[in-house]
Amino acid sequence: MARDELARTVPAPATAGAGARPVVARTKGVRKVYRSTIAVDGVDLEVPEGAVVGMLGPNGSGKTTTIRMLLGLVRPTEGEVELFGQPMPESAESTLPHVGALVEGPGFHPFLSGRDNLLRFAAAEPLLPSAKITAAVTNALELVGLTAAADRRYRGYSLGMKQRLGLAAALLVPRKLVVLDEPTNGLDPAGTREVRRIIAELHARGTTVLVSSHLLSEVEATCTHVIVLSKGTVVAQGELSELLEAGNPTLEVVTPDATQAVEALRANRIPARLAPDGILVDLVTTPAPRVIETLVQAGVSVYEARRKRTGLEDLFARLTETQSDDLPTDLHLNDVDHVGVA
Amino acid sequence: MTAIAWDETPEVTDRRHRAPLSRLVLAEVRWIFRRPRTLVVLALLAIFPPIIGISIVLAGPGEASGEAPLFVAAATSALSIPLGSFMMLMSLFLPLAVAMAGADAIAGEQSVGALRGWLVAPVSRGRLLAVKVFGVLAVALVAAGLVALTGLTTGLILNGMDGIITLSGTTLGFADGLGRIGLAVAWVTLQLLAVGAVALAISTTTEHPMLVVALVLGGLIVSQVLSVFDSLSWLHPFLLPEGWVAAMPQLMRDPVSLDLLGEGALRAACYVVIGLSLAYARIVTRDG
Repeated sequence: MARDELARTVPAPATAGAGARPVVARTKGVRKVYRSTIAVDGVDLEVPEGAVVGMLGPNGSGKTTTIRMLLGLVRPTEGEVELFGQPMPESAESTLPHVGALVEGPGFHPFLSGRDNLLRFAAAEPLLPSAKITAAVTNALELVGLTAAADRRYRGYSLGMKQRLGLAAALLVPRKLVVLDEPTNGLDPAGTREVRRIIAELHARGTTVLVSSHLLSEVEATCTHVIVLSKGTVVAQGELSELLEAGNPTLEVVTPDATQAVEALRANRIPARLAPDGILVDLVTTPAPRVIETLVQAGVSVYEARRKRTGLEDLFARLTETQSDDLPTDLHLNDVDHVGVA
Repeated sequence: MTAIAWDETPEVTDRRHRAPLSRLVLAEVRWIFRRPRTLVVLALLAIFPPIIGISIVLAGPGEASGEAPLFVAAATSALSIPLGSFMMLMSLFLPLAVAMAGADAIAGEQSVGALRGWLVAPVSRGRLLAVKVFGVLAVALVAAGLVALTGLTTGLILNGMDGIITLSGTTLGFADGLGRIGLAVAWVTLQLLAVGAVALAISTTTEHPMLVVALVLGGLIVSQVLSVFDSLSWLHPFLLPEGWVAAMPQLMRDPVSLDLLGEGALRAACYVVIGLSLAYARIVTRDG
């Protein structure tokens, strides 16, 4: 898929222009080079206020580097970074107090308990009055379900508990923006659901959430917007629903009576064509139940019917559901120009 | 699991918000003095003077047979045990304690990923370094203070409180003796802060705390070796441990000779300024 073709299918991201939602975080032409490695190259992204933005991409696609630049932890080699309209990292002291972040996994000291680790970081939170520190820590521990383990040493925590403690640190203070880098790493299914619940709650409160993941399913379940990164560049961004709807919706029907099925559908003015295991039906004018109904009435045996992935959905899936090691060869994206740059 | 229980979310403005420095320093000091290995090192430092005292008592009857020579009396005066302990501990153990503190302060935080926790709070890098310097200073002061405290206690138990005999043969009052111990603690703390400043500078460049400790102690040992060679006498004024051994007996003279102590203090102050400047230059540019 060529860049132009993709660009056309992707709706323009929300901008700060008249009528559009304000942008909480923005990067303009950001590039980060570590010695000879280009981690991020020309990333323009916007995080609209109140959105849950999923940053999707395989390992090594530049998600964490981009997040680190947004938080002012790393200064970009080129380009501009803005949080709440203020330049980063210069405005860290006015913007970051409003931002909760879990970046690159939780970072705590093993010899302290979970509570003591949190108390330590709570002391550094500019918006937390000294008198409220203890209560804020207790609430955050409760929020992530760590109350029972709060006074055990961090050393003995499971991976999931460590991740929860990191989440608790990000939620110590009322936030305008919460940035979560791979928040479900190491969590069991119940923990994953809890993270989704917390993200949904943040969204309901109007807090903007930026969450990175290498799993499409994760992003589909929680996000309103999506930014897809591959090899340090943005390959798509916009509202999740619009991105997924882009392209023609198609129903794939598995049936032994393919020819009969196509004839039956065409008789009802539903466009359909033959496919290896059955038929493909165009859903632009007809909803899926109507298609099935027509087939059943025509006496066609339907073994299976599923919505076929559109081009972009297929792209996400290939970007996010394969092992990153397998990616470079089978991805025919627009990044030919990056090969050999390093 | 419960729902998010936040108060009203404050609006973002361009106003800068900072956590009070005292709160940061308190959190840092708590963290330092709850670390098991810091406590072990401090405990070992604290029991060193009593061990010296007991050794002297056990060795005493043999050496002091007949009339007690002056040096034995001096070596067993209440002042000599803390000062003698400083002399011995300065060669390795006290610098080890501050090198560890300096290593844990930044490299140690980075190694577990906790440094970015401070940076995204946010704590500005300059303030973060200031907090870390306070922490290292606290360790230096506590280490020196503990040695002085247990050393003086041991000395008083063994020798009684009346009259401290100096190396010059005169006798000091108790208050005068305490004053000299206080001066020794201040001087040793400054020397240790110089070691800590170098440790912090190295600490900002790595995420391996062991590397910091190894480099600092290695540097000290090399300096001590170099200070032995007369042919390198031009280099000696620049070596931090120069005068560490010779300085303590100066406090046992009457009146106190301040030349060596003053020179050592100046040298340490230079190391503090250079070390902290390098640490600052590195921490503000380092990727968090």
